Amino acid sequence: MNILELNGLTKQYGKLLAVNELNLQIQQGQVYGILGPNGSGKTTTLGMILDVVAPSSGDYRWFGGMSPIKARQQIGAILETPCFYPYMTAEQNLRISAHIKECSAAKISEVLKQVGLFERRKDKFKTYSLGMKQRLSIGAALLADPPVLILDEPTNGLDPEGIAEIRTLIQEIAQQGKTIILASHLLDEVQKVCTHFCILKNGNKVHEGLVNDITGTTRQIRITSQDLSLLKTTLQQHPGLSNLATDGPELIADLQPGTTTADINRFCFEQGITLSKLQPVNRTLEQEFLTILKANQ
Amino acid sequence: MIKSLKLEWLKVKYHPLIWILFGMYLLALTILCFGGTFFLEWLKYEGEDFHGLDPTLLPIYDFPDIWQNVTSLASLLRVFPAFIVIISVTNDITTQTLRQNVIDGISKTQYLTSKIALIVSLSVLSTAFIGLAVLINGKLYAHPASHQLMIEGATFLVAYAFDALVYCCLAFLLALLIKKPGFLIMALALYTIWFEPIAAAILRNHPDLRDTAWVVLPDYFPVSALNGLIQLPFGRYLFHEITDFVPVKQLIITTAWLLSYLSGIIFLLTRRDLK
Repeated sequence: MNILELNGLTKQYGKLLAVNELNLQIQQGQVYGILGPNGSGKTTTLGMILDVVAPSSGDYRWFGGMSPIKARQQIGAILETPCFYPYMTAEQNLRISAHIKECSAAKISEVLKQVGLFERRKDKFKTYSLGMKQRLSIGAALLADPPVLILDEPTNGLDPEGIAEIRTLIQEIAQQGKTIILASHLLDEVQKVCTHFCILKNGNKVHEGLVNDITGTTRQIRITSQDLSLLKTTLQQHPGLSNLATDGPELIADLQPGTTTADINRFCFEQGITLSKLQPVNRTLEQEFLTILKANQ
Repeated sequence: MIKSLKLEWLKVKYHPLIWILFGMYLLALTILCFGGTFFLEWLKYEGEDFHGLDPTLLPIYDFPDIWQNVTSLASLLRVFPAFIVIISVTNDITTQTLRQNVIDGISKTQYLTSKIALIVSLSVLSTAFIGLAVLINGKLYAHPASHQLMIEGATFLVAYAFDALVYCCLAFLLALLIKKPGFLIMALALYTIWFEPIAAAILRNHPDLRDTAWVVLPDYFPVSALNGLIQLPFGRYLFHEITDFVPVKQLIITTAWLLSYLSGIIFLLTRRDLK
């Protein structure tokens, strides 16, 4: 089932084309990453599907055509920064969200526990750290037990510990079978939590696909030992390696089909060389992202 | 409407500044409504007289005059509910909670309804307060009057409620436009208390403008139009002719202003992106 469908969604600010004819289909249960450099149109796209930015043309449909207000009540969303009343406590702020979403206020304690803010529920929002504010945002988004979550840069401005906390939280939520739409320019974050992704550049969709299709191990290896030139000379004799080259303090090479890293390790050992590193190279989303962006320049 | 009112209540319930302003407003209304006899005593102490008449004998609390006396003065305090509206609206904009409210599932129309609910509540509460104050003061100080005479001037109470409603809608529109509460409160207060009355006085009284259309122009100004709804009636105690009714012309002008404010609010809310 299509949770969200975008048809030619476009936003123009004067001469600036922020989003251009964007078509997307997001299905139930997907953790969908929207990637792109700053200013690529990620937040504008989310703003349009959340009805806070008016599209210049095109349309979108939630849940196969549900009314936008009803749909938004069923969606938990955070757009950029956490937005709450600073003079109110977490509990009081969530009471407003619960009232708008027409859900029971009894859920408030439950979500505050889920995001680890129950102990601080009586403290004013303005006294919270950025990490706590982000967690409260996620708590508010989870309040109506929504089937869909939209998170825009949820780890922005957080320290490494905060990033790890939010990432774990997102992974836990994804495991519950919820559909998550995550906009981010932090590729590592998207790689770790998303199943599907698209890349936006200057408002255009330049790529769409599965995260698993472009990540994972490659046939390339990185290898090094104490005597790099001896290692290179030795490995040149191995028929299972090609494209052998020096890359800084190590060598890189491609494994031929049928050759494994274990074969290389054994070969070097038999030649009297002790390897200090033998590592298969993983393809990362970051590499692919940069390649795609470069190709679309 | 009930949902919108509750939403607004949840927002203002914990806002300390709004309650301070509301308290100041009620205090000012109390002083104004109940301070008449003390003021007249003070005038007498200062040796003032009204054509040889003891000021304390002026029937300011007699029905039906009391309605216009109290409401005309109370309408000068209209800035207080307007400040509350400004704080409430700019708070939603500066904290981006208006945007979050929309994301969470209200429409911009529902947001408009919630603010109108706040404005109507402020207007109704202050009108009820004044109505009660008039009845108490009338009971305490007025000469006996028939029930018909007592309710004769109550149209001024309705005009007062309308005055508060229109002025608060102006505040709502300005808050959406300017978004800076401190600046806006100062600017609106200065405009209402100083700038427009001075401009109106100049246009009405400048010798070069006599017998020209400029003299009636202030009747159409936003604040002067509201002041014209319930005109200050105290000239009657100096045997001057006064307007002791709500002029239809002023009612039409203020209604036109109200409609233009609401159109502006709807235009800004629906056309502007919530960034």
